[in-house]
Amino acid sequence: MAKVEKKEVAAATPPWKPKPRPIVRLGIVLISHSLLVSVVCCTAGIVALFLLPMLAKNTYISENALMPGSASSMLSNHDISEAERLAKDLTSLNSGAADAGIERRRVLAKYLSDLGVEVGYHKFQSHQNQFHPLHFFSSPDSGLSRENGSCSSYGINVVGIIRAPQADGKEAIVLVTPFNFRKNSSSEALSISIGYAVFSLLSRVSWLAKDIIWLVADSQYGEYASVASWLRDYHIPVFSASSSHNADSCFEGNNINLSREESPGRTEISSGFRRAGTMAAALVLKVTDVKGQLEDTLSVYAEASNGQMPNLDLINVVNYLAVHRQGLRVKVEKFLSVLTWEWIWVLGDTLNFIGKVAGSLNPEWKFGISTPDYVEGTATLASSLYRQALGIPTGPHGAFRDFQVDAITLEISPKVVYTNQGRRNEFILRSARLIEGVVRSVNNLLEKFHQSFFLYLLTSPAKFVSVGVYMIGFALLVAPLPLVAASLYVDANKPEPSSQDPKQKLQINFKPWKWLSAAKQVFTVHAWGVFVSLLPYFISQIPNSTPAAHSIIWFSLSTFGLLVLYLITKSPSKPQKGKWENLKSLTISAVFIGLLLMSVVNFATAQIGALVLVPACLLAQPLKLDIRTASLKTFLRIATNVFISFVAFPPAGFFILKGVNEGFGNMDVGEFWTWLESLWAWNSATYIYIGMVHLPCWVLCLQILLHSC
Amino acid sequence: MRSKLPDAASSRKMAASSAVVAILASIWLCSSIAADASGSSSETTMHTNNWAVLVCTSRFWFNYRHMANTLSLYRTVKRLGIPDERIILMLADDMACNSRNKYPAQVFNNENHWLNLYGDNVEVDYRGYEVTVENFLRVLTGRHESAVPRSKRLLSDEGSHILLYMTGHGGDEFLKFQDSEELQSHDLADAVKQMKEKHRFKELLIMVDTCQAATLFNQLHSPGVLAIASSMKGENSYSHHLDSDVGVSVVDRFTFYTLAFFERLNMYDNASLSRLFNSYDPNLLMSNAYYRTDLYQRNLQEVPVTNFFGSVMETVHTDSAYRAFPQKNTPRETRIRTGNTAEDDSRRSILTDMTKAECPFTRIVSSLESKMETVGNLDSLVNYGLVMILPVLVVSVWLST
Repeated sequence: MAKVEKKEVAAATPPWKPKPRPIVRLGIVLISHSLLVSVVCCTAGIVALFLLPMLAKNTYISENALMPGSASSMLSNHDISEAERLAKDLTSLNSGAADAGIERRRVLAKYLSDLGVEVGYHKFQSHQNQFHPLHFFSSPDSGLSRENGSCSSYGINVVGIIRAPQADGKEAIVLVTPFNFRKNSSSEALSISIGYAVFSLLSRVSWLAKDIIWLVADSQYGEYASVASWLRDYHIPVFSASSSHNADSCFEGNNINLSREESPGRTEISSGFRRAGTMAAALVLKVTDVKGQLEDTLSVYAEASNGQMPNLDLINVVNYLAVHRQGLRVKVEKFLSVLTWEWIWVLGDTLNFIGKVAGSLNPEWKFGISTPDYVEGTATLASSLYRQALGIPTGPHGAFRDFQVDAITLEISPKVVYTNQGRRNEFILRSARLIEGVVRSVNNLLEKFHQSFFLYLLTSPAKFVSVGVYMIGFALLVAPLPLVAASLYVDANKPEPSSQDPKQKLQINFKPWKWLSAAKQVFTVHAWGVFVSLLPYFISQIPNSTPAAHSIIWFSLSTFGLLVLYLITKSPSKPQKGKWENLKSLTISAVFIGLLLMSVVNFATAQIGALVLVPACLLAQPLKLDIRTASLKTFLRIATNVFISFVAFPPAGFFILKGVNEGFGNMDVGEFWTWLESLWAWNSATYIYIGMVHLPCWVLCLQILLHSC
Repeated sequence: MRSKLPDAASSRKMAASSAVVAILASIWLCSSIAADASGSSSETTMHTNNWAVLVCTSRFWFNYRHMANTLSLYRTVKRLGIPDERIILMLADDMACNSRNKYPAQVFNNENHWLNLYGDNVEVDYRGYEVTVENFLRVLTGRHESAVPRSKRLLSDEGSHILLYMTGHGGDEFLKFQDSEELQSHDLADAVKQMKEKHRFKELLIMVDTCQAATLFNQLHSPGVLAIASSMKGENSYSHHLDSDVGVSVVDRFTFYTLAFFERLNMYDNASLSRLFNSYDPNLLMSNAYYRTDLYQRNLQEVPVTNFFGSVMETVHTDSAYRAFPQKNTPRETRIRTGNTAEDDSRRSILTDMTKAECPFTRIVSSLESKMETVGNLDSLVNYGLVMILPVLVVSVWLST
């Protein structure tokens, strides 16, 4: 009896079948339990994201050479009184006069040349950031900067360079102070005071190993534009005379011939471009008036384009010196609205409780965090994630990151507007000592910043989550995607168990090609995504129209394009079994690839995108099927699907987020256009992600939902 | 009451047969040297000269203190009498001329800046990227390329006491050189063994100021080696203090307290090695200093520190003068070094030569002594002399008033 059975088995299977390898077997097990795996992984991924504030580590100075705070400050009151004299001279000039800007520039240059440093003017033309579809990820030297613009918009930066007395001049540290020469602003004068105090000290010291450049950036056309154009000219020398000639002719037309100016100080003021070595680091210094503060505060802005961050060591040095040497309060940006969310507090309490229980079980487990710390950390983390995801630099330091220079913006805000000279001097002293300390520390560097992290999220000025930790949450979130795609594909292409006919068997051989039509669909939708992303370039050429009009034109054109594509590619054949599974499988694969690619370019975008797209893709199922089998489960699924696909629609998501943060009161259709415009103006990869990954996948999910099966 | 040199006394007693006595004396004096000439063991060799090899192995501005350590020790051994040509100074970087140095061309080991270690008389033998493990081992073993000048070689012999001082960043059984190489404890032990085989030292004191310095001595086997380390395995060696004017730590704790010990000494002090070893306080060092004495035969209480850190040794008086050398009988040229007696083999030849030609000084002394012999009562002669002085004194006082 047994023998007979064995024979039958042998007949059913090939005579020799190799045992699959363990990894293959594991894969098969995971794919066959893809539902369970995806539920577990997605939950774990979201939980991991909320655990990040708990897993944040304290920052530490990783680079030995930095030695922050090991040298005592050399800044004296004399430097400060000189700086205050300069500030007075600058503010006393009549701001109404037409040539006040020129006069201020001259005063500043005179002070600098009296220090015995090299002084130069840098002329630049500001140009509007425009959408250039081919300039994403390209080098900052875009041809547009050389284009002839009108003479109306030009600015002049003042640059002072201290040559390090004993060094080879191969490296430099840059200090930037934005200053509007045309306007009288007390806070900007204060920042010039601080900058000058540090600079005059540095011009006397003997310990410089790197040249010091002080850029007083003409901020009348924005802080970023002036710094960016100076950096561009610094790094990309112009050899053709045409463009500079054009600029010069402009200046002559405006009666400002800088080269012919008399030299009042110890050194000559050159109109030619002055350079020092490669930049080791850059500090942008700003003073702002913020009302209602308890103490002098230092805000650190670090995010550059596409979520790039400066080396963490730079932030560490600033934070260490500000907190432990100068007693300033250091802040990084956070979402204040998060602090008012009740459920975050509850979550914080829960985690605190769990941490305490774990601590009582085993004293070695110290992952508890107090509730206010957790909430603060979450608010900061959310802001950090959002700023990185946006891909727009948060200050002029962003221009440096484009040239791989580590830079941050330090925004110092005094407690009150100082009227008492003594108090004001003390404020200048503390701020200038901070800058001096940072410069001296960076001066000790032997190489570029490289020891500490470049990929991190801040949860407080002194706490960070490194890439190794935050990647886990993202990896868990996207891990189910290939599994579900594989399992769907297997389901869709399962051979009919009842088919015995040899003719049908032949057909099975051709079945794998069934996914081709689905692939065609996915591809068309992605091509449409490219088309939609390129549209704004043409729409923005339309003169005299409002953002709202732009939005409406864009929306209608996109919809029209989609309809046309749908009609062209609509297959005449009737829907067959397994078609939507194939479509879903391929959609999920496309999402997976898109998210992974994006996580390399800008992690924060990919993380936020995954939070929306992964549930949307995994839950998508034709509504018809669900309606047919009406039960509580399917009803819930329908509701979730409809909700997610509404939220995942980019404009809808944008307005919901905006409403949550600022209230639903005044909404304008144009805002979405303005927001996107800012994205492409800053060459943010997030724009590409929205246009080429998010939007097509959202459309595909809609197609699955509305599939007629 | 009368104390005289033993050989002089014997010559007085046996004036008649001075030549024979001189032979005997020479045998008595130089028996150890003669025995050593066969090369059997160095224990019986005289300590004849001192050398110092001072190594700073780390680069970069933030390692300022390592260079300051080495230069401080350089200054100390020079002060205690080791001449510059017997000091091999290896500095892996040049802090004095670093552009970050607030005091160009100066190096300090204390924040009070009283002492510039990088003064006029600093001879750096190996500088910058010359300080490699290879060069270090070549210096120790003496296996140089022919082009290397004598000033960069350790020309020690079997009568040499060598001080080897090393500082830098170390770990378990290694010492980092230049941020790119390592000297392992095996390498060091191997080099020391080679030195021993080649009779390049009589005694060797290795002093290491790094983290986990004691581990560097684990593989040493050669006799005559004494080792001091700043820290035990698993311990760090810390810097002593930060000079906030220069902006770096300027000296390490172990070296600081070693220097503090030597600052109280001069060339003629008899402080023993055990006093130096006991001067290290673990609370001040923040680590436990480690001594390895099992390879060393002498009692540390009887060895003065100047045996290694200075150039003070037992001097042996010999009645020699250049004129006394009959050149035809001494095939080798006599070399005389500063602070030393002449070389062993040449001294032997001197002493044997004395049998043939007596030196004039000895002749005068012996004739004087023979005259003294004739005076019967020496004490009364002295007393009379003193009494005679009194009237002279009275007369001179009277004259001056």
